[in-house]
Amino acid sequence: MRDEVVLRAEASVADLDAADVLRRGLSGEALALVVVFVSPQLRNPAVLLTRLSRALAPAQVIGCTTAGEIGFLGYAEGLVVALGFPARHFRAEVLVIPDLGALDAQSAIGALIRARGALARKCPGWEHEFVFLMVDGLSAKEDELASALAPGLGRAPLFGGSAADGARFLETFVFHAGLALRNAAVIAAVRSECPVRAFKVDHFRPTETRMVVTGADPARRRVHTINAEPAAREYARLLGKDPGQLTPFTFAAHPVVVRVGGHHHVRSIRQVDENGDLIFYSAIDEGLVLTLAEAGDMVAHLSDALDALSADGPPAAILACDCVLRRMEAQEKQLTGQVSALLRAHRVTGFSTYGEQWNAMHVNQTLTGVAFYPPKRP
Amino acid sequence: MSGVRGLLDPADPPARQTEKLLSIVEVLMRRVEHGTDLSGAAYAQFERAAMLEEQVRVRTQELELALALLNDSNAQLASANRATEAARRNLTDALETVQEGFGLFGPDEVLVLCNSRFGEQLRDIQPALVPGLSFPDYVELASLSDALVLPDGVTPQDWAIQRLRRHQDRSTVFTVALRGDRWLQVSEHRTGDGGTVILQTDITDILRAEREARGRLLDDQARMVRATLDHISQGVCIFDAGARLIGWNQRAEELLAVNRQRFRAGLSLGALLERLAERVQPIEVTRLRALRDWASQPGARASLRFAITRDGDVALDAFAQEMPDRGFVVSFTDVTTERRAIAALSRANETLEARVSARTLELGEALGQAKRANAARARFVAAASHDLLQPLSAAKLFLASMEDEALTDRALEALDKTRSALVSVETILDALLDISRLESGRLTVRPEPVPLAPLLARLAEEFAPMATAKGLTLRLRATQAVVVSDPTWLRRILQNLIGNALRYTLTGGVLVGVRMGSGGLRVEVADTGPGIAETDREAIFREFHRVNARASASEGMGLGLAIVERASAVLGHTVTLESRLGRGSRFVLHLGPAADAAPTPDRAIAPDPPRELPSDLIGLLVARDADMRRALAHLLEGWGVSVLDTPDTTEALALIDEIGLAPDFVLIDARPGDEEDALRLMRDLTARHGPLPARLLSATRAEALRLRALRAGVPLLYKPVDTTLLQRFIAASRNR
Repeated sequence: MRDEVVLRAEASVADLDAADVLRRGLSGEALALVVVFVSPQLRNPAVLLTRLSRALAPAQVIGCTTAGEIGFLGYAEGLVVALGFPARHFRAEVLVIPDLGALDAQSAIGALIRARGALARKCPGWEHEFVFLMVDGLSAKEDELASALAPGLGRAPLFGGSAADGARFLETFVFHAGLALRNAAVIAAVRSECPVRAFKVDHFRPTETRMVVTGADPARRRVHTINAEPAAREYARLLGKDPGQLTPFTFAAHPVVVRVGGHHHVRSIRQVDENGDLIFYSAIDEGLVLTLAEAGDMVAHLSDALDALSADGPPAAILACDCVLRRMEAQEKQLTGQVSALLRAHRVTGFSTYGEQWNAMHVNQTLTGVAFYPPKRP
Repeated sequence: MSGVRGLLDPADPPARQTEKLLSIVEVLMRRVEHGTDLSGAAYAQFERAAMLEEQVRVRTQELELALALLNDSNAQLASANRATEAARRNLTDALETVQEGFGLFGPDEVLVLCNSRFGEQLRDIQPALVPGLSFPDYVELASLSDALVLPDGVTPQDWAIQRLRRHQDRSTVFTVALRGDRWLQVSEHRTGDGGTVILQTDITDILRAEREARGRLLDDQARMVRATLDHISQGVCIFDAGARLIGWNQRAEELLAVNRQRFRAGLSLGALLERLAERVQPIEVTRLRALRDWASQPGARASLRFAITRDGDVALDAFAQEMPDRGFVVSFTDVTTERRAIAALSRANETLEARVSARTLELGEALGQAKRANAARARFVAAASHDLLQPLSAAKLFLASMEDEALTDRALEALDKTRSALVSVETILDALLDISRLESGRLTVRPEPVPLAPLLARLAEEFAPMATAKGLTLRLRATQAVVVSDPTWLRRILQNLIGNALRYTLTGGVLVGVRMGSGGLRVEVADTGPGIAETDREAIFREFHRVNARASASEGMGLGLAIVERASAVLGHTVTLESRLGRGSRFVLHLGPAADAAPTPDRAIAPDPPRELPSDLIGLLVARDADMRRALAHLLEGWGVSVLDTPDTTEALALIDEIGLAPDFVLIDARPGDEEDALRLMRDLTARHGPLPARLLSATRAEALRLRALRAGVPLLYKPVDTTLLQRFIAASRNR
């Protein structure tokens, strides 16, 4: 019997036998849940997901598409990464929200509460739980969804990530029961005998430079004007940059934050539209005061945060949702190797997102996840 | 660029700047006034979530802290409750297992708890003994109880007052008497907090047991003393300080033979002694008086011991000893049997001494006789060796010479038997003489280095004909060993061993070998004969013992091994025997360590040469007839001559060649027809060694032969041989 708390496997999307490779990597244990992160380079992910679901049944296989994966070696692309949760240590209940456009908050809350209740009955001796969310990253519904689910969480922490589509922003999928779903979300309520610890890491601090959103389309997360000027041009002016040179790397290095409840929260800019609008990764509104933020030392922050997780002994594994902008920042600052080494050293598995969920909030430019510790044997 | 100034682009004209400011202000005002309208629902949800998140975080922390505190105190409370409950239960259980009555009064003098045995003995008041009762009430109840036996003249009130006074002490123990001869021990102790613990122990059984034990002890001791007194074989009389009899055993009555009616308690010692004095020897009366004086002596008295004889035949040993209370014990022991035994012993001793001296005289005589007999035997041996053997040899020579005479067949047969008889006599005589010499103790042996090789070679030669005649093989292993021994006797020993082996072996053969072992050299004579049974192994070394009676007298009288054993003993050698029935025997002669020096040659052959002959002579003897050859050789050896004897002339020549030394003289026995061979030998010897003194023994008295012999340098000596002539010839041969 393998003694890992969580099983890990990965395969290249170029590998025709990727499903077999993953199945072998996860064999040897009865599994309660399998989570896969699939590179958008894979042409027809539903085929892979169907094969995996059959091969690993009765374990439920869920997952989503990515903007890059975090595998055995750290940052990677073109992979399918899988995490297996052994039934020895875990029980899971999976909920699907098939159409975010018709989200019924009350029924979602009810379903979540029932799922958690069922888990508590199945394994009353296991006291650790968390809720993991994967949601369509182009739905613009993450804030609403996270907020809606919050009343059903009880004491369980929620964390998750928005499914991504590399740098294309065309279509993102979440997977459930061999199906690739759009405009949908998959929620796994998990209970374990292993101690778990949810965490969120960012490394920005606000500057003195502020701006006011004067014109926006909140439903589409578009900002037309800032300070009564076209948004992209004004953002570029405040940065002292040529509006024509704004790239995702710029957005990654210079996010804007809002101040709510005494804390600053990153609102990341996804892209510049042809008409000069700025499209955001998260909810936006007119009349918001945006503050420019500057990045701290990304590697040091990450290292400190991961070390803090090892304070009472190193975790057996970490599942992480890492904002795609962090990957870009690392790439821009040529820190990819150092960050990968840290992720590798701390056994981090996960994917690059279009946004992260943290309890009731949808946030940007964070690394959010959960650490798993070996069970405490009496 | 900082603060709100950054909101405006300094490059804009003022009108534009104002316009932008107005727009910004408008949107901000709208946001402040409307908060969140429907269009911004998503952001509003985020905003609420963020606010909520912070509040939840703080509340959660507070809640967790409160919960933890609550849990802790709950746990402590529960464990405290459990401990209290357990302690109470343990205490109750423990109190019930206690065999005593137990009562606990609090510091306020009120009964807190008691077990079911508390006050059990005071049945009438026990139901009233329940928690809540005060101590004075308890005492009063007890004092009035029917079960309590109060000491004479003590009222219940008095008892209660006394009891309450005792209660003032920190700790007290007392015993109360109860009806029915029962006893209760009450112990009272003050607890740390001023309360009182009362223990009530029923000690009735203990007291009764103690009482009984004490009574039994006294009875037991008396019985034991009585039994001991009756058991011992001594008579014992015990007197008190006034010298009056207070105890005695039956044995004392028997030993002193005093009338039973007289023997009573209170009898004075004086009266007892007076009666006794009439029955002892007059001389012993003073001893009885001494006892009376001893008894009336003031102060400490040392033990007194004396003997008396009652009625003339019962011997008594008396012993008086003081007791701690100035009484005393007199014991009497019957020693009659011992006295008689001692008397008998001394009588027996006298008789024995007389018999010993008589036997010593007899033995002295016997010894003298033995000495005389031994001397006689020694004289016989000396006489026999010289006076018996020599004529016998001569007789044989004469007999041999007669064979050449023309005789009738009957005469020849008689002659043959005569010769056989003579040989047998000679053999037996030889052996007997050997044994006599060995046993006389006068034999002097002269140990010297003896090389075994020539000795064994000669034995091989000697026994070869006998072996051949019986169809046996006789092998002697070559050796270079030299031993220290007497050569003559060594030869005799080996001769007997080999002869014996050949004699008793029917098939196979005899092997003689010399070995060097850790114990020294040993000669082994092994045969393939019938073997010797375990039971016979000692007997064969005795004289006249033969294992197989078939052997004829001429083959010996079984003296061989007797000689071997005695000779070996004299020489310091030992003989051992290993044998397996049906397989053969092995006699081993252990000779001790090997010698280094070579011996002087030929001494072995002539230990005792006659005075009239020179010693160290070597004679060549050629005789085809075996008996003739043996007889002559024996004769010559008896004179101290070393004899090289051989049956035929050819061999004789080879022998001399081999030795490479001319003999001192030559004797050739010629039977009719053999003369020519003899003359030829003589010529050959002369050719090799020059003229040698020689004689041809012949019964043929023909002149022609005489002349031819004379010419050949070998004059005739007529048979029967005149030993005097022969001796003279030999003596002369030395002087040439």
